[in-house]
Amino acid sequence: MMETDFLIQQLINGISIGLVYALMAIGFTLIFGVLNVVNFAHGEIYMLGAFVGLLLITTFAPPLFVVIIFVLAFGAVMGLALDRVAFRPFRRFRDEASMKSKAIREATLLSSLALSIVIREGVEKIFGSNMQVVPQDYLLISPVQIGSFSFASGQFLIFGLSMAMLVGLQLLLFKTHIGRSIRAVASNPAGAMYVGIHTENVIMATFAVGSMLGASAGIVVGLYQGAVFPAMGFAPGIKAFVAMVMGGLHSIPGAVICALILGIAETFTTSYLAQGWGDLVAYAFLLLTLIFFPTGIFGAARERV
Amino acid sequence: MTSKKTVAAMLILMLVVVPAFLYWLNASYWFGVAGTMMVFAILAVSANLITGTTGLLSLGHAGFYGIGAYTAAMTATAWHWPFYLTIPAAGLAAAAVGILLALPIMRLVGIYFAVATLAVGEIIHVTLLNWVDFTHGPMGISGIPGIALAGVFKSGNLANYFAGAGLLIATVFAVHRLTHSYYGNALRSLREDDQCAQAMGLKVVRIKTEAFAFSCFFAGVAGALWAHTTQYISPGDFRFSESILILAMVVVGGLGSIPGALIGALLLVGLPEVLRPFGDYRMIGVGLVMFLCILFLPRGICGEVSAMALARKHLNAAWKPSQQLGWR
Repeated sequence: MMETDFLIQQLINGISIGLVYALMAIGFTLIFGVLNVVNFAHGEIYMLGAFVGLLLITTFAPPLFVVIIFVLAFGAVMGLALDRVAFRPFRRFRDEASMKSKAIREATLLSSLALSIVIREGVEKIFGSNMQVVPQDYLLISPVQIGSFSFASGQFLIFGLSMAMLVGLQLLLFKTHIGRSIRAVASNPAGAMYVGIHTENVIMATFAVGSMLGASAGIVVGLYQGAVFPAMGFAPGIKAFVAMVMGGLHSIPGAVICALILGIAETFTTSYLAQGWGDLVAYAFLLLTLIFFPTGIFGAARERV
Repeated sequence: MTSKKTVAAMLILMLVVVPAFLYWLNASYWFGVAGTMMVFAILAVSANLITGTTGLLSLGHAGFYGIGAYTAAMTATAWHWPFYLTIPAAGLAAAAVGILLALPIMRLVGIYFAVATLAVGEIIHVTLLNWVDFTHGPMGISGIPGIALAGVFKSGNLANYFAGAGLLIATVFAVHRLTHSYYGNALRSLREDDQCAQAMGLKVVRIKTEAFAFSCFFAGVAGALWAHTTQYISPGDFRFSESILILAMVVVGGLGSIPGALIGALLLVGLPEVLRPFGDYRMIGVGLVMFLCILFLPRGICGEVSAMALARKHLNAAWKPSQQLGWR
């Protein structure tokens, strides 16, 4: 009995970590789908979301949902700014070949990376590299007892928020005009342009939506783990990237499922093996996936580019 | 001919002027900076071979650098091997691991290959960090003997400097010969279109594996040099951020160009040192320089000369403007 309880407890912890990775992985997947480039500054959006939320809490102490709405809005603005600074200057040509070319991919990969260094070091300069103090009232660690399981209140928030975001995202992508445009640009940028979709606006919308998800993940994790520091975006960023690739790059459900698998695998490894080996499992998973499914588990047929 | 003169001038600068100047200054600190520069120059040249010339984006180069460093450190501390054995051993170990890992992942293309190398690099780093019995974990390995030959020269700044310079020159020479040959053309054809190259009769997977192994070999050599010159290594030196730094050097310098890789290493190692008076702002400066380089010099500071430009240069008189290829 004790053993199964422990197992279920770990499973739930794993799912709540996995959902955070999923929120970030969706941002990666959306941007990759539309632009075919990797956004290395996504982890920094996550970090900025946490810092801005914390700043709001320490200055005004508003209710939690106000914080989250503010962080979402801030994430959207940061997404637009990121696109403007690190991605748009490299979209000099609009034909399909150059939109998917290797040169533009490497250029934006490194421009977003350079920008992420600047953001991280800038934040470190302002706030210092240590962990920030999260006010006690906002820490989401009050235990909630259900039956023989105990949860932290933050897990409910993570669960609820991620579910709301995922459902909202599905509605956005399948029921609204802008969502359909995003999917059209993702499947064929030139074709979308020919039927009169304003590609630039769609790309901006994608960055806004993706960064909203990333920033909200940042503040929720910051409050749940009580750890807000300038380098906090790195590890979840890499995990989300791994989840995106395992899911097949273009598949949002795939990315979510793989993010959950990663989260659960990581929790189980850290509780059954030593602490440090958790990361190894994630990467070993990735390597095995790529060896047996060369384009990800949920990827389309093999693409030779 | 000018190119030969440039090379001779560079060699004199590197082997005579700079060490003499540093020796005269008696600046251990700047010897250290020069050593770091040369280690990263070897890494950038080797990463350039795989990422620039062969077109396989590698995000795990620091892992092979780490394998080289740990091989050299362990053979030198446990078995007391001299540096002229540990350095090739480190290169061979890294190349062997590279070949083993390349066997499954060479079939992957594009971004999937890049992510697989990222995973490999991280697995190596996590293993170095957590396999405490074997690698001493986060404490690292200290007391690695410096570069010295009993009775000939003692270890010190100058020995380290000349070892680094020698290995760098050897690496540049080897990679230059490799890329400026028919073999190098084969590698470039894989970068441009590997399906087409296969149709022309190249063994794509085999050539890619070979190029990867060469690249890993030089990364391992760089690791051994790092281990011997700093005499202390820890897993923190071989993280993902190092892989990215190496990649940034290659891209800032110019993909596919050896002088570019050298300039990139010089710039990205040197800039933080030059900006040191600005204290905490220096990393911001490095990020900004990287960003501006990519924005305004998309082909890199010293990009690869395309075949067309080379033909135009050699035929300068015979090349008439009306003969321009492509769309008019």
